Amino acid sequence: MANFVFRRLLLAIPTLWFIASAIFLLSKLMPGAFGSAHLAQQEAGYYSRSDAASRDHSYRQFLKTTGQDLPLFYFSITSAAFPDTLHRVFPERDRAFLQKLSWQYGDPEAAALFFRSLKTLEASLSESERQQVQEHLFRIYSHEDAAGLQQATTAIASQLPSSRHSQRQMLESSERLLAGSRGYTYLLPSVQWHGAQNQYHHWLSGLLQGSLGTSLRDGRPVATVLGEAIGNTWWLLLVSMLFATLLAMELAILMVRRSGRIWRSTFLPALFLLDSVPLFVLAMLLLVLLANPAFLQLFPVYGMGYYSSFDQSWVAQLSQWLQFMALPMICLVLANLPYLTNQFYQALAAVAGQDYIRTARAKGLSEHRVIRRHMLRNALLPVITLLSDFLPAMVAGAVIIETIFAIPGVGRLLIDAVLARDYPVIMGIVVIVAVFRLLSHLIADLLYALADPRIRSHAA
Amino acid sequence: MKNLWHIAHALWQTAPAFRLALLYLVLLAAVALALPWLPLAYGPNELDLEQIYQAPFGWETETDKSRHWLGTDGLGRDVLSNILYGARTAFTISLPVMALASLIGLTLGAMAGLYGNRRLYLSRALLAALLIGLLTFAYYGIYLPTLLFSQGADYADFLLTGIAAVLFSLLLVLALTPLFKRLPYLKKKSPFPTDELLLRLIEVQTSIPRLVLILVLAAIVPPTLLALSVLLVLTFWTGTARLARAEMLRIRELPFFEAATSLGYTQKRLLVRHALPHLLRPVLVAFSFGLAGLLMLESTLSFLNIGVSTDLVSWGRMIAGIRTNTAAWWLVAIPGAVLSLTVLALQTFSYYVLRTLQNKK
Repeated sequence: MANFVFRRLLLAIPTLWFIASAIFLLSKLMPGAFGSAHLAQQEAGYYSRSDAASRDHSYRQFLKTTGQDLPLFYFSITSAAFPDTLHRVFPERDRAFLQKLSWQYGDPEAAALFFRSLKTLEASLSESERQQVQEHLFRIYSHEDAAGLQQATTAIASQLPSSRHSQRQMLESSERLLAGSRGYTYLLPSVQWHGAQNQYHHWLSGLLQGSLGTSLRDGRPVATVLGEAIGNTWWLLLVSMLFATLLAMELAILMVRRSGRIWRSTFLPALFLLDSVPLFVLAMLLLVLLANPAFLQLFPVYGMGYYSSFDQSWVAQLSQWLQFMALPMICLVLANLPYLTNQFYQALAAVAGQDYIRTARAKGLSEHRVIRRHMLRNALLPVITLLSDFLPAMVAGAVIIETIFAIPGVGRLLIDAVLARDYPVIMGIVVIVAVFRLLSHLIADLLYALADPRIRSHAA
Repeated sequence: MKNLWHIAHALWQTAPAFRLALLYLVLLAAVALALPWLPLAYGPNELDLEQIYQAPFGWETETDKSRHWLGTDGLGRDVLSNILYGARTAFTISLPVMALASLIGLTLGAMAGLYGNRRLYLSRALLAALLIGLLTFAYYGIYLPTLLFSQGADYADFLLTGIAAVLFSLLLVLALTPLFKRLPYLKKKSPFPTDELLLRLIEVQTSIPRLVLILVLAAIVPPTLLALSVLLVLTFWTGTARLARAEMLRIRELPFFEAATSLGYTQKRLLVRHALPHLLRPVLVAFSFGLAGLLMLESTLSFLNIGVSTDLVSWGRMIAGIRTNTAAWWLVAIPGAVLSLTVLALQTFSYYVLRTLQNKK
């Protein structure tokens, strides 16, 4: 058995690695890193210029501490039309500018040189000088063609004293830039090797050591953030899962009885109807009907209400928890009931025609005994696999329910992280969900072997 | 196709629920198509800030404006026109997405079922050359065009990279294959594990619940309709692929298929002429079931306001309006009812078709 478990785990690891890596790399390839929008407000005029510079500095610091200034992967393939130092240029606005320069004039080295000299010139300007050339600097950053660039640089040269070294350098490099012309260098790929100092390597080695990184929003470790949220989701899922399973089983037993014709003709259409109501509509409907002063205020509406629960006994705490969790749980149970009941009913009905059931009936056993003792155990076998698939799938339901009822769980955390583009937290949730599914499949396999002696002997 | 028509006709005469469902769907589609010519007083995104949270069926009118028959939301948007235009949005997203996903799923699933793990023999040399050719193609055909697009290049550059993509990758494959064939390891032919590959791919995709996967990917890509559709296609093809594979495995064992195989028909002919007609019907059932799921998913996403822009007219957006004012019951009741009814109609339709198919076997 241990052998079997080990093999399953070994097979699942590549899957886990593949999907986590794919999402990690995808998330990094897309533009718009966390916090870069913050920097783009620079020209809003609300802050003074020095403030913007310090923000620029703090953004770089932020990138450095979170390791986002490193190259993404072990190697990179770019077009030869771009300078190789491109990935070291921050913020993204500057990177796009340098990219545009080297694309437009076809000489990556000259473009990089010009870009650097422009930056040094800008840094050496005093406040009044900056005021003078502000307009031309802006023209350089947004120029369309070579004539525009030339005009702007000559305008800057005429306004500033020409003795300055950085200014001369800027003019020279701009001339060199303008002299070049775009050929077909961009057709050539250029491969660069970055070694182990890259974001992917750091992330993966951190993951292997059990560290999920730190949240970009508040700088806390992702494991802590997840740990706070996971308890609520876990209990919500587990309790509603238990209720849904028990209810579905009882309903299926009611329907499979010989006298259950009336149950069949009422429950099956009702469940079919219920199945076509999406979960969020169901939740909003129940919220409007049952937790609303305008209609019926049976349940508290939002959140967990745990501000007052510190000094209470555990019974009071539990009752308060139940009060807040009742409606979300009802929603989850109702949403999953049709599918589960249908599966249970199908499994039971398939067993009902077997010979040994006829024998059991012929022995004169009561209907109750026949169903509970003889049918249920055999019918449950296929349902075990179903349940193991079901628990992780309910995570999706939890996302919706937690958002609607404002329960601080993993689902809400995911929505918040997605809206804020907090990738470490998103990655953490992906890994947790995938591991959760993996474990539940493993447990299902074990349960299967425990329930069915044939499989046990086969596996051994 | 003729057979399907017969099934629909027989069901139409015997099952009243099927008739109702089909009528509803046709009506909804007709209204959604005829929308530009309908005399609607308000557009779906038109704000009427003087009449916010108007209850439906309010007969008394104070202003000289035309009535909001089904009420308004928190910004005074008309519920009726939002519902009608929402139907339009729902179907313009879900129909093409599901069609494309079914096509991908059918092709991959049928191939995997037909070839299995050891029926498709490919030479290793060709495979290795193809891999290198693919990399070249990815650089010239995908990476460079996106780069050119972001830099605003002109047509000549795009044309050049296109030609380079095709030419270089073809040349590489043609030149490398004979070269690789000289190597002792690459000389042999080996079975291509089609089935195994497909199953692994599906396993990777389904290791995370679909909604969670879409939410995660929606955080990465920009919130446009096209990006969302691509995401949905990428997550929805697995169901059809699984079904098509299982059906293909079943068909392969049937006597008529064995007879066709023993007659020495090519794999292509086997697939297209003999297997595909039998695959189409189960795939059609999966299509309409999937359509219902897609409708639910699309409205859930616009309810959560993730992956779609806020000016996209949708049933989910309308329902989300109730979160700011829980007394406005019509914001959840009316769009919710229309959404549920549409899903119900689709499910009834597929349920009856599925039942007939199973009875025929």
